[in-house]
Amino acid sequence: MRLLTLFVAAATVGLAQAPDCGLLAGWVQQGPARTFAADNLFEYMDGNAEGYLLYHFVQMHGVNCQSGEDTLIVDVSEMENAEWAYGMFASNRDPRVPAAKIGTEAQIVPRRAILVKDKYFVEIASSKEQPDLLRQFVQAMAKGIPGSSELPEALAWFPQDKLVAGSVRLVPESVLGIGALKRGYIAEYPYGKAFLVRETSPASAAEVMNKLRSRIGGTTPVKIADEGFAATDKYLGRLCVFRKGRTIGGLTSLEAGADAVADTAKLADGVK
Amino acid sequence: MKSSRRSFLAGGLVLPAAGLAMPRTAGTPAIPSAAPVALDKLTYRILGKTGLKVTSVGFGCMITSDASVIARAADAGINWFDTARGYQSGNNERMVGAALKSKRQQIHISTKTGGKDKAEALAHLDTSLKELGTDYVDVWYLHGKQTAAQLTDDLLEAQQIAKKAGKIRFAGVSMHSGHSEVIPAAIQSGKIDVVLISYNFTMGKTLDELIGKAKAAGLGVVAMKVMAGGFRRSQDNAILKREGAMTAALRWVLKNPDIGTTIPSMTDMDQFEANFKCMPEKFSSEDDKTLTAHLERISPVYCRMCSLCAGTCRRGLPVSDLLRFVTYADGYGQFSLGRERFQELPDDVTAVRCGDCSSCTVACPHGVKVAERISRAQELFG
Repeated sequence: MRLLTLFVAAATVGLAQAPDCGLLAGWVQQGPARTFAADNLFEYMDGNAEGYLLYHFVQMHGVNCQSGEDTLIVDVSEMENAEWAYGMFASNRDPRVPAAKIGTEAQIVPRRAILVKDKYFVEIASSKEQPDLLRQFVQAMAKGIPGSSELPEALAWFPQDKLVAGSVRLVPESVLGIGALKRGYIAEYPYGKAFLVRETSPASAAEVMNKLRSRIGGTTPVKIADEGFAATDKYLGRLCVFRKGRTIGGLTSLEAGADAVADTAKLADGVK
Repeated sequence: MKSSRRSFLAGGLVLPAAGLAMPRTAGTPAIPSAAPVALDKLTYRILGKTGLKVTSVGFGCMITSDASVIARAADAGINWFDTARGYQSGNNERMVGAALKSKRQQIHISTKTGGKDKAEALAHLDTSLKELGTDYVDVWYLHGKQTAAQLTDDLLEAQQIAKKAGKIRFAGVSMHSGHSEVIPAAIQSGKIDVVLISYNFTMGKTLDELIGKAKAAGLGVVAMKVMAGGFRRSQDNAILKREGAMTAALRWVLKNPDIGTTIPSMTDMDQFEANFKCMPEKFSSEDDKTLTAHLERISPVYCRMCSLCAGTCRRGLPVSDLLRFVTYADGYGQFSLGRERFQELPDDVTAVRCGDCSSCTVACPHGVKVAERISRAQELFG
């Protein structure tokens, strides 16, 4: 037990410093380690930093690793919590490439790998195509990162039947481009796009529902969970929205053959 | 190092050809060809020698997460949309392309490459075109150059090759800092058509002469970070946002006639509508008061990282670093991070107390109360 504690403590300390190139034999650190926080991440990646800040970025530790002529650029970003880290991962993964169950999730393409575990988001960029090595590196890093490998709870709320693989994302601001839907998850199905937004209380969720009715206009009440409505919007297409307690959800861009109320009710059923 | 990382990341996105087919996305709106709304609010400017007639407010797509906002903006008549190869690891270009596909002839798209050499940059461009679903981009920027030396002949040649091949209409360079080096170098090269620069009210008139020179040389000037960029999410800017001063900040940029267009980031329709309305509006005395008050509020604490204070502390303190550390705690609520960074400093630095000096040798030209702020760092972390 004491040994285990020591190992976890060491791993945690390691994350407060630079990633270790020596995780794989033959790789050594090239040049100094780098560290960035929210207000100087711009120095490293210019405007792209804004994409990190959106997901409640705290700090980044990075190194370049060298083996012969090959270079890996390894950066570990610490986000405020595991949900934001997953959101960062999901916004950066390629939805056309399957994820691997390494850490919470990982994705490896020929010259790049990303990994999320707990509140850490790892990016590894390679100077050449070497997916096998990237996979090994990601696996080794995942072992050293402390914390949970569980997916955020809200992901389980989406019906798994016909869910488009890799389509679930955490939208950090303005879900569906609507400011009233502050942040939440979206997922895609062949018949439409689902969203789930959690408010602080049933009352505030009811207030948001009123704002949505007002914004969208021409709504028709439907019986789903605590309240619901259907409508057609020029940009969001045919849609159906419900409130269940403090959660607002629904389907937009519904295909012509889709049963708006039945499909939306299925989504509502999964919400805990 | 920086461009290397960016180019690595962008390069890493190049997938096997089989993976490049555009997936079906149920959320991608089909844009009806209905007439744009509120066209009377649109104002246009000519973007330097490109001759492009662009709306004075464009759309920075970097943090937009829903294609419907971009589609609505295009329908409203906005005709300038900006993205980059590296944004959201390439997902942003794909979303922008899907949102604007049916409007391609009516709008202009700019994207960027962080490629470190000609071959890599041109490979990025091919990927960008595939992801955007278009045969050409209107402006292709070399992304985030900070020094004249980074405008290499190799990269400039890549832009000329792309131009000749009809893959880009105009060549550009983007910069977040180093304007005083990069803009003259861009003019001198004779090969750059557009510069994308950070420009906002916190800078006052410091860049106006350079911008004027670029305009006089025929370059189109596009402004980004018009709402003070990364400071947007700090606590002080939450105050700015509440007071509606974000639009005042946009109007401040628009009052400079040498600016061709602007690319504020927008995530929702409320932000878009607020920015859209700014186009015909004049910068007012009320705007001036709002921004002046905001500058006064932030000046004692807002370090612009200009480094003019470097080496001026008689006790050898790294002033801008210490200001940054205290901002972690006070501005971002990250006390432990500030303390961690402070404690990494050498002992002879952390042992210094500003109160031991009878006067301070550091004078911030922007009004940051340096001794007060560093004393706060010493009090918090020491």
